[in-house]
Amino acid sequence: MSHFGRADDHQWSQQHLSHYIEGDLGRRARRRLGRHARDCADCGRGILAMRALVHMIQGLDGLEGVRAPAGIFDRIRAGGAGGERGGAPSAPPKNA
Amino acid sequence: MTPPLRGQRAPDSAATEAGLVARARAGDVDAFEQVASAHADRLFAVLLRLLGDRSEAEDVAQEVMLRAWQGIARFRGRSSFFTWLYRIAVNEASRALEKRSRRPDSVSLDAVAQQLPADPRDEPFRQAENRELRAALVKALAGLPPPYRTAIVLRDVEGLSTQEAAEIVGISQAAFKSRLHQARLRVRAAIGDAALITAGA
Repeated sequence: MSHFGRADDHQWSQQHLSHYIEGDLGRRARRRLGRHARDCADCGRGILAMRALVHMIQGLDGLEGVRAPAGIFDRIRAGGAGGERGGAPSAPPKNA
Repeated sequence: MTPPLRGQRAPDSAATEAGLVARARAGDVDAFEQVASAHADRLFAVLLRLLGDRSEAEDVAQEVMLRAWQGIARFRGRSSFFTWLYRIAVNEASRALEKRSRRPDSVSLDAVAQQLPADPRDEPFRQAENRELRAALVKALAGLPPPYRTAIVLRDVEGLSTQEAAEIVGISQAAFKSRLHQARLRVRAAIGDAALITAGA
């Protein structure tokens, strides 16, 4: 951890690693975390690990080209289409 | 309207979608099926990722469409149809996961990890290692509490923006970012920094 930074730099940096790798921090915050990570092996490693993790998750390609099941609308048809509208006991969001 | 991503057959334009939604709200089931079909593949992929079980995902997908049809009259278009539909899907998946957690014989998600193919872009000698790592990753994702898993699936797997994902989950963007970070920390801890950094090198 940096000997020159603020006392809470480490904890703060650990909480913002995701924001940092996504470029989601303001200029001052980004500089604060970057400066701390240069001196802190833990946070430096955290940045590398987080980047690798997100990259790997984004590369999960096992479901590329997956198709929805053919019968996805069967329940609507089975319910007589118009007959059951608007009265679900657990209704979808009213407006979104 | 959100731009089409993986396997999504979007209607030709936002105007087309708006027109179909309007007809669906008026009770036209064909219009509903047409507009919902445009998002069905992607929605099903999300359900598969969240649930990790194909037959359960199929069942929930049918339920999502039924609930969306039942609620379409109340859809006012303040968010996109896509966001609204996904919110129903996330709610239904959460409900299914909750039910599953109460069952003693809950479905194992390891099978999904085993089915993942190696990335053909990898050099051959790294394929086995990477396949193992991917399997560990899928297993770690499957082991996350549903809200964390949902955050990662929507943002990192599906590539939705923070704004879209937060809207679907129904929390603020700041809260979503925090939840996503916590989710990533858990997965990172499950896999280990050394394995991640080696894979990312």
